Amino acid sequence: MHDRKRTPALTAMALALCALAAGNVLGEQPYRERYPDAKIDPAKGVEGDVGFSDTIQYWRTEADLERNAGLADKPAEQWKLNWKHMDLDRIDLHPGHLAVDEGAALVKKLAARDPAFLTCLGEGSAEIKGKAAAYPKFDVALGRILTVEGRIEQCAKSVLGEDLPQGKPPNTKISVYFKSLSAGVPTKVDIGNTKVMEAYRRGEQSFYVRTGQLNMACASCHVPGSIMGHKLRGETPTTPFGDTAHYPTYRTPVGALESLQERFARCHNQMRTQPLKPGDPAYTDLEVFMTVLTNGYPISVPSAR
Amino acid sequence: MKRTLRMLAAVLMGLTFAGTAGAQGAAAPQTQKAPPDYSAFPCLSYTQPCGKVATRPPVSKALDGPLNGNAEKGKQLAQARNRGNCLACHVIPGGSQPGTRGLDLSHFGSSGRSDAEAYAMVWDMRTINPETLMPPFGTNEILNEQELRDVVAYLLSFR
Repeated sequence: MHDRKRTPALTAMALALCALAAGNVLGEQPYRERYPDAKIDPAKGVEGDVGFSDTIQYWRTEADLERNAGLADKPAEQWKLNWKHMDLDRIDLHPGHLAVDEGAALVKKLAARDPAFLTCLGEGSAEIKGKAAAYPKFDVALGRILTVEGRIEQCAKSVLGEDLPQGKPPNTKISVYFKSLSAGVPTKVDIGNTKVMEAYRRGEQSFYVRTGQLNMACASCHVPGSIMGHKLRGETPTTPFGDTAHYPTYRTPVGALESLQERFARCHNQMRTQPLKPGDPAYTDLEVFMTVLTNGYPISVPSAR
Repeated sequence: MKRTLRMLAAVLMGLTFAGTAGAQGAAAPQTQKAPPDYSAFPCLSYTQPCGKVATRPPVSKALDGPLNGNAEKGKQLAQARNRGNCLACHVIPGGSQPGTRGLDLSHFGSSGRSDAEAYAMVWDMRTINPETLMPPFGTNEILNEQELRDVVAYLLSFR
């Protein structure tokens, strides 16, 4: 008798608690407009561009780029090269190449203070060749996602007690050097890792959510049916696939090296959205999303754009 | 080779530009403007207040009284990159480097739209097309009331 009375009361109380908890969670989610989901399949990596912008046929390989080099001189079609034709200019004069040497010198100097700096970068080995292609990755010991720039910052801090903040020249130069040692190695973010995929899904949300005074999302310019492929004042937005391979890059219009997350911040300024600092967890998740869309495409650092 | 030369030219231009900017910065640091603050609008942060700011819902704005817009002032606003920047997406008579995603506005004044219709569209295009890419110029205070009237007068002058 007592049991029968208590059970509905308990159930009601449990339901009320659930509702309260749900209310709290929902209360933290403000109303946001979103750009329609382009339904990208992370398992396809860079090949997800097939049936998306369909421009990968022009820039998939160097042979494709050579064959379609003529598009570079056609204003309406140049965007189809996804600016990958810039990677064929293997001249060693632009400041991206200088950054490789400067980054190498910085690593040498820091490793001279404590060799553990290099073995931290190499995750237990002084050999860092080829390892940058697997970033961003989930670091089990630290319990968080690290980008190449995040790893550099973390190793400098933990081994040397030195601040090498992400988005600042010393960190970016070391990143250029680190990634140049993976030039030609296909990007291989581990999408089999649950934590990586959780970050991917958060980054995906950020890609579609409209932000800022102009009420635009990344997707407003970078999915089929959006501004992608159309003129936006003097520029033509391109596909997001394959884009992370050449970062950090030397940006000729800015006259400086630029990491991927600094580029996010510059995009946000153009979108009249409050930019975040490089290394911000939301930018790191967006980098995970973007880099999975480059999986399978070779790293191309140093580079210029 | 042609590409290489073009690239080299671009790099040199970049270096020159960077050098100039650096020199200016050193000579007149007081002229450096603080970065604009957009924190009243939604951002991607998981922790900052702007990360919790909601999208402003669409507003159907009725034109109050006659338009009384100054087309000449509207032209400046429509073409300025940091203001209306209509050219980012639209072809406008006499504008340089127009965008191609938005409607060609070359003959917008002959399209049969009333002052009130054109005004409501620029104020918040989402009320007419929920999936529009066009920023809500009135709702998000990109242009104030009079500026918006000036821009509409300018757009309607294209015959």
